[in-house]
Parts: sequence; C-alpha cells; structure tokens
Amino acid sequence: MRLATIRGYVTSTIKHASLEGWRLMLAEPDSSDLAPQIVIDNLGAAIGQKVMISSDGSEARKIVGDELSPARWTVMGIIDLERSLAV
Amino acid sequence: MRMGTVVGRVTLSVRNKRFVGERLLLTLPWTSDTFDGKDTYAPSIVVYDQLGANIGQNIAISEGREAACPFPEPTPVDAYCAALVDDHFYKK
Repeated sequence: MRLATIRGYVTSTIKHASLEGWRLMLAEPDSSDLAPQIVIDNLGAAIGQKVMISSDGSEARKIVGDELSPARWTVMGIIDLERSLAV
Repeated sequence: MRMGTVVGRVTLSVRNKRFVGERLLLTLPWTSDTFDGKDTYAPSIVVYDQLGANIGQNIAISEGREAACPFPEPTPVDAYCAALVDDHFYKK
C-alpha cells in the first residue's frame, strides 16, 4: 500500500465493461519510483486529498464486482489531516 | 493503471498459441513529468488492446497479473488497455 495525493481524474467512454460507473482518479504516489496511477475510488476522495492506495487486484475485482476486471489500484482510505508531533 | 500514449502497432507472424486475433499497441507510458506537460515518457511497452485504440490516443494501461484477468483462458499478457481516455485533469 502506498501513500498518495489525488491530483485529478480521467474520463473515458470506451472502457472495459467492469469500469463502467466508477470514479477514475489520478493519484500521485509520495515515493517517486511509481508514476501517477489511475485508481478506482469508491470512497469519494477529493482533489488535493492524501489517500492510501493499494495494488491488490483481487480486492479491486471484488469492489467492481467482476472477476474478469483488469482493475488493480483502488483507494483504500483517506488520510487524516497531518498534525505535528513535536513536543 | 498507468496513463499511456499510443505511438504504434505491433503485428506478429509467429505467435504464442494463446494469442488469437490480438491487437498490440506500442505505447509510451506517462511519468510524473508527462503530467506536468513535459515531453518525456517512461520506456515504451507493448499493450494488448481489445477496445480499438488509435495512434495518438491516450489509454489506461493495466499492468501485472491483473492485465491477464479479462481473458477466460490463461493468456501471457502483462499490459492491457483497460480504457480509452477521452480527457483528463491533473493539477500539481
């Protein structure tokens, strides 16, 4: 699982049938070894929000409800506001 | 899924017997810089396409084990065109 920031979204008319109706957001991972990913978001993350994304395809297939789905990355949670832990 | 731009086609004369009527696209995956408007891409990859993407089009590339999921029979595919991207919004 990776921490990432939601930077935008994509729109698509022609797509795999399992992706119909899902929000496809663009998430930029905090670590630069991974390019921004198109993620399925069923939690309602907003642009600018920090999220945790997971590459677990089996969970992605459960979320979209299609065992033949090519979906891989999904938003697993929205991160709380960061607070300084300085004492 | 990574974003990618289609730059060409690949055709095969001799192929793995699991490939039947395949359509293969040569694609440049996007990096963080590409989203910022720069003309730099990740190294090109070949993507299996069932949606009919054209050259110049932006697509969503599903990679890894999930790329083979849409096939009812086991198929040796590790990059699959999951969506044709009409438009995108990206703000740093």
